[in-house]
Amino acid sequence: MSHTPIERVAASTPPAIASRVRGLSDRTLAWIFVAPTIFLLLAVNIFPLVWTIRLSLTNYRANRAGAELEWVGLRNYTRILTDPDIWQTMQATAHFLIWTILLQVLIGFTLAWLINRKFRGNDLWTTIIVLPMMLSPAVVGNFWTFLYQPQIGLFNYAVSFVTGIDPSSFSMIGSVELAPWAIVIVDTWMWTPFVMLICLAGLRSIPDYIYEAAAIDRASPWRQFWTITLPMVLPFLMLAVLFRGIENFKMFDLVVQLTGGGPGSTTELTSINLKREAFEKWRTGYASAYAIILFVTVFGLASIYVKALNKVKER
Amino acid sequence: MASFVAALLRLRRGPWEMVASILIALGVVMLMQPFALWAYTWSFLVTLAGTVMFVIVSHFPE
Amino acid sequence: MSGYSITEPTPRQKWIAGTLVVLYALITILPLLWIIATGFKSPADAIAYPPKVVFDPTLEGYVNLFTTRSRATPEALEAMGPPETWYDGIVRQYGMVISGPSRYGERFLNSVVIGFGSTFLSVFLGTLAAYAFSRFKVPLKDDLLFFILSTRMMPPIAVAIPIFLMFRTLGLSDTHLGMILLYTAVNISLAVWLLKGFIDEIPREYEEAALIDGYTRFQAFYKVVLPQAATGIASTAIFCLIFAWNEYAFAVLLTSGQAQTAPPFIPTIIGVGKDWPAVAAGATLFLLPVMVFTILLRKHLLRGITFGAVRK
Repeated sequence: MSHTPIERVAASTPPAIASRVRGLSDRTLAWIFVAPTIFLLLAVNIFPLVWTIRLSLTNYRANRAGAELEWVGLRNYTRILTDPDIWQTMQATAHFLIWTILLQVLIGFTLAWLINRKFRGNDLWTTIIVLPMMLSPAVVGNFWTFLYQPQIGLFNYAVSFVTGIDPSSFSMIGSVELAPWAIVIVDTWMWTPFVMLICLAGLRSIPDYIYEAAAIDRASPWRQFWTITLPMVLPFLMLAVLFRGIENFKMFDLVVQLTGGGPGSTTELTSINLKREAFEKWRTGYASAYAIILFVTVFGLASIYVKALNKVKER
Repeated sequence: MASFVAALLRLRRGPWEMVASILIALGVVMLMQPFALWAYTWSFLVTLAGTVMFVIVSHFPE
Repeated sequence: MSGYSITEPTPRQKWIAGTLVVLYALITILPLLWIIATGFKSPADAIAYPPKVVFDPTLEGYVNLFTTRSRATPEALEAMGPPETWYDGIVRQYGMVISGPSRYGERFLNSVVIGFGSTFLSVFLGTLAAYAFSRFKVPLKDDLLFFILSTRMMPPIAVAIPIFLMFRTLGLSDTHLGMILLYTAVNISLAVWLLKGFIDEIPREYEEAALIDGYTRFQAFYKVVLPQAATGIASTAIFCLIFAWNEYAFAVLLTSGQAQTAPPFIPTIIGVGKDWPAVAAGATLFLLPVMVFTILLRKHLLRGITFGAVRK
């Protein structure tokens, strides 16, 4: 940098003032930079949201656009919230949610803990384990229907190989008892690496000296796990659980391709149920109220998620 | 516990966010539990209350 | 004394941990390898029992994936003379002739166009917004950032109802432009959050030095910050691309003939003939780019899935 007197004076001017003199001010630039994003999100998210709220108060049907619009007040909401069938759908979603989260946390945490033993080649194997998570859920669901075929599928063959049960004696996606587990298995296969990666980050954030201090105090490995490892990883685990919870609460693509909600409505999760109401039965007003209920639930969970996110960020 | 109540009374962000989070979680559990239809019916209002509360209290000072 | 209490695991512990992880990795990769292998099987081998691990590889699945075929009588086949190309030869073994290309190519191309279009737009807009959020005093910054992220969390089916109606009114249904705008809106939240993290890491001193040197703020952004953020921008772009590539719910509801992407199309390949090799071939071609990108991206994967909150 040069050192003429004039430039030294310029250097002592705060940058904000200096830039206001030449070119656009920071304030204007901030507006220009942020506005397109906000505008796009308003148009594609907020405007539709307001529209949905409006529709949810009517009996509008999108396949009969010309029909007279009738205001029904909160009747759509009360009908949904007293409907035992939709309640049933929520319970199917709960089954899916609880088991996927439980399995993914158990397997994911164990894997992360093992990988953190830093054996040779752990990077390579981590990358391989992570692959399923990045794939298209719809295509994954589609090819798992092939693996789940009773006679020819690899999954049934593997089960019969291990247990000796006849592979054509059970159908993972055709039977009422097994179908809810079929979707849990595929989701766990796909998303365990997600929980694993986040747990691994948590484990790696624990500084070595804490364990060293614990070793000097002669704390048993078991005690170290409960008093050091788990509490330190917990915020990360919370993050993973909340995110998987939100994602699986609105699960659509994977399950729709895998079971289509069947057999009967055993695997009809809320999003699939909503899609039926909105785009097959065309009860747009009713479905809009349904959408708002899911919307508020996800928004609430998302607020907690962002709180957890900021908590982890501060570390 | 006493300091928690004190912070609530002084309208601090932390404890109020906790209360709102618990309300949201309660609403979600009510929505998906298999035991009582009335709990399912009222779940939406609980979640909505928790969510609105969260938006408001997240503007309280730390 | 157990090795756990010291920070470096013993060789024996490493060996056990390594074995278990490798075992899990092999089991988890098996379905993927199976699909790739099925793409190279003949239809008979694909449905053989017990499942065939050793088989004669053939490109039948790929030929069937890219063509439509019709049955021809033996006399007609006779009259046509010898097959002109290798793929003609494969099809004729089954007494069929190729009657034209299938729609897979088109659908794949749609995925490419919509994927790259929306990625470009969201990274472009996202970089600008992320820079502003990182460096300037934006009023209501935290609220805006939360709002941006929360749009990502919304259930696609819930948003799809009004978007369906909106697109119908604006004539955007089943168009590339409509899908690009929609995917941009979904991806922009990820782009803003990820890029803000990357830009936060670039020391402000660089820009301040540039401002003192007589650059305008915009020049400093363009000539100093952007090159520094190149890696971050590239990995953000890959994340956006993978999302747009994988998306199914909006695609299946809002597109049909013109702008349909590959994910809603692949399941329809199976048709009535239960042609599993063709489905597997279609899935393989579609999933392979993502696998390659995942390997390239492995260092930044954690950031991408946590919206930039967890760095390492």
